[in-house]
Amino acid sequence: MSRSQPDSSIMVTVAAIAGALAVTVLLLIAVSSTPQAAVRAFFIGPFSNRFYLGNMLNVFSMLAITGLGMAVAFRAGVFNLGGEGQVYASALTATMTGLALASLPAVLGVPIALVVGMMTGAVIAGLSGLFRYLWDTDELITSFLIASACIPIVDYLIVGPLNDQASNLLTTERVPLAFRLPRLLAPSHLNPTLFIALLLLGAAYIALFRTVRGYEWRLSGLNRQFARYGGIHTGAYIVLPMLLSGALHGLAGGLFVFGTHYATLVGFSAGLGWNGIAVALIAKRHPLGVIPAAAAFAYLESGARIAMLHTDFTFELGTIIRAVIFLFVTASVVPQLQVGGRFNWIAARFSRKEQT
Amino acid sequence: MIYYAIEVMAPLLLAGLGGLFAELAGVLNIALEGMMLAGAFAAIVTASLTGSILAGMLGGLLAGLLLAYLFYFVGIRMRANIFIVGLAINLLAAGSIPFLSSAMYGTKGVLRLPNVPRMPGLFVGMETGFPLIDQIFFGHSFGVYLTVPAVLLAGLVLQRTPFGLRLRSTGKNPETLRSVGLNPDHYRRAALLISGMGAGLAGSLLALRLGVYLPNVSAGRGWIALVTIYLGYKRPVGVLIAALCFALAEGVSVAAQGVLQIPGTILLSLPYVLTVLAMIVYSAMRRVGPSDA
Repeated sequence: MSRSQPDSSIMVTVAAIAGALAVTVLLLIAVSSTPQAAVRAFFIGPFSNRFYLGNMLNVFSMLAITGLGMAVAFRAGVFNLGGEGQVYASALTATMTGLALASLPAVLGVPIALVVGMMTGAVIAGLSGLFRYLWDTDELITSFLIASACIPIVDYLIVGPLNDQASNLLTTERVPLAFRLPRLLAPSHLNPTLFIALLLLGAAYIALFRTVRGYEWRLSGLNRQFARYGGIHTGAYIVLPMLLSGALHGLAGGLFVFGTHYATLVGFSAGLGWNGIAVALIAKRHPLGVIPAAAAFAYLESGARIAMLHTDFTFELGTIIRAVIFLFVTASVVPQLQVGGRFNWIAARFSRKEQT
Repeated sequence: MIYYAIEVMAPLLLAGLGGLFAELAGVLNIALEGMMLAGAFAAIVTASLTGSILAGMLGGLLAGLLLAYLFYFVGIRMRANIFIVGLAINLLAAGSIPFLSSAMYGTKGVLRLPNVPRMPGLFVGMETGFPLIDQIFFGHSFGVYLTVPAVLLAGLVLQRTPFGLRLRSTGKNPETLRSVGLNPDHYRRAALLISGMGAGLAGSLLALRLGVYLPNVSAGRGWIALVTIYLGYKRPVGVLIAALCFALAEGVSVAAQGVLQIPGTILLSLPYVLTVLAMIVYSAMRRVGPSDA
């Protein structure tokens, strides 16, 4: 596993981020008529004023939660590739709950709405866990497929029955003023989600590394057969991690509504789920590693978004950055890794199916 | 409806057959979707530049091939996690096509280029008068008539040639291959390149039939192609039957859209729902019945 070769895996991580930086700079130079300004904006833009800095920190808090959601699943050896749809669908249910409970005080209404969001995410991801538990259906593919099936349905609901008639935008109604989380660094979007994210990371670290259940959780991820031999109910560690992973994505969706947008807009999850996977991989699936990984990613994304203002046309630079990071992040540059390394780990995943 | 289903089946089948090679060599190619999308974009661009359908198909094929080589290089040569590489390639296609499209033509939306020829229907005028037979056999676009030879060729190569045998043993037990002095990576590479060509060609059929490039024209078909491999019990004829089933399902759902007034957006989720159901049935059956693979 990657953790047994700390030196080379750090090198790979650095190579991944350096590769993403290089590709970004090259693309910016290629598409901008003022390349110097664009590259400058990419590197120092996120720190240049309160607005950009606060927004970057807000992106960081969101990515920390989705990244943690991925990391806890990866730790147990299960994969949740449906983060994107889970965030989106949960945002919608949280928004609707918030609107329905508008008459309640915020201290009651917001938590209830967040819980509904978490439950939505948990159900969507949990299904894949359940299918794997019952029928050995690969949760990696079903989680992606189920979440992808949710996205057009949510799109339809926002544009159709749940559309805000008062606005011309593709959005739901906005949640009541009292339900909106306070802004910490106005006019930026930064809000208390930052503290919630940091608390969750700390709690996850303690739960995974300082409790018996966390030990069983990690052991199931390292070697499921060995864990079963040791008397651990490994079936539970397929469904539970998916539920928790989905719940964290649901929480991210809910907080994105109450902290940042106050409504669900079409397509507003904007890569939160995909980036969460990249963050978890860079973090080497460690809760505390999520902090630098999410910070690096938030910086890249924010810089790219600001630099876009200096280019001649807009495009999804974020998607390309993500692709480059994925391409680099698990590649092994050290020959020794080829034998006992990650490839065999993933190969073993598949041969397991062949041997049944 | 049957005519439509046959048209829909062709790209699914070509992508599925290509993916079958990769699957049998032990590399699950989840980048079929991205390769199809790249193939569709490249096909329209080349067809517009050359004014030729065949050149367009070749362009699509090469785009798939290029991404497949990238998949091989990072996933097999550099020993990266093949899932993450597959995702990366899907993202790369989804991210770089709008980029190239705006850089070259100034739009990232629907790409309607001059000079793209219409895909001609073949065997028009040979109709027998029986609607069912006519709808199945005659007047289809060129790509449809590639499918049956492709199934036969795939079956022949996989079952009757030393190359096919070695490719299959790469997936089953790479050590055997190594023990006779062959390098399994060569077969993984060949299989991936074949899957890239299949998916690229499939994408080119999608786009050339419409004559325009639509953003996200593949709409989840790469994933369904992946599932036809499982549902077809990893055999070329099985892939054909599975692809036909999905194509009929799509035909029914498009027809239902008109009759039942189901919003079109919701239908976009249908391929994914069907794929999940198919995977569950496949897994559950495998548990009950005799193991095949």
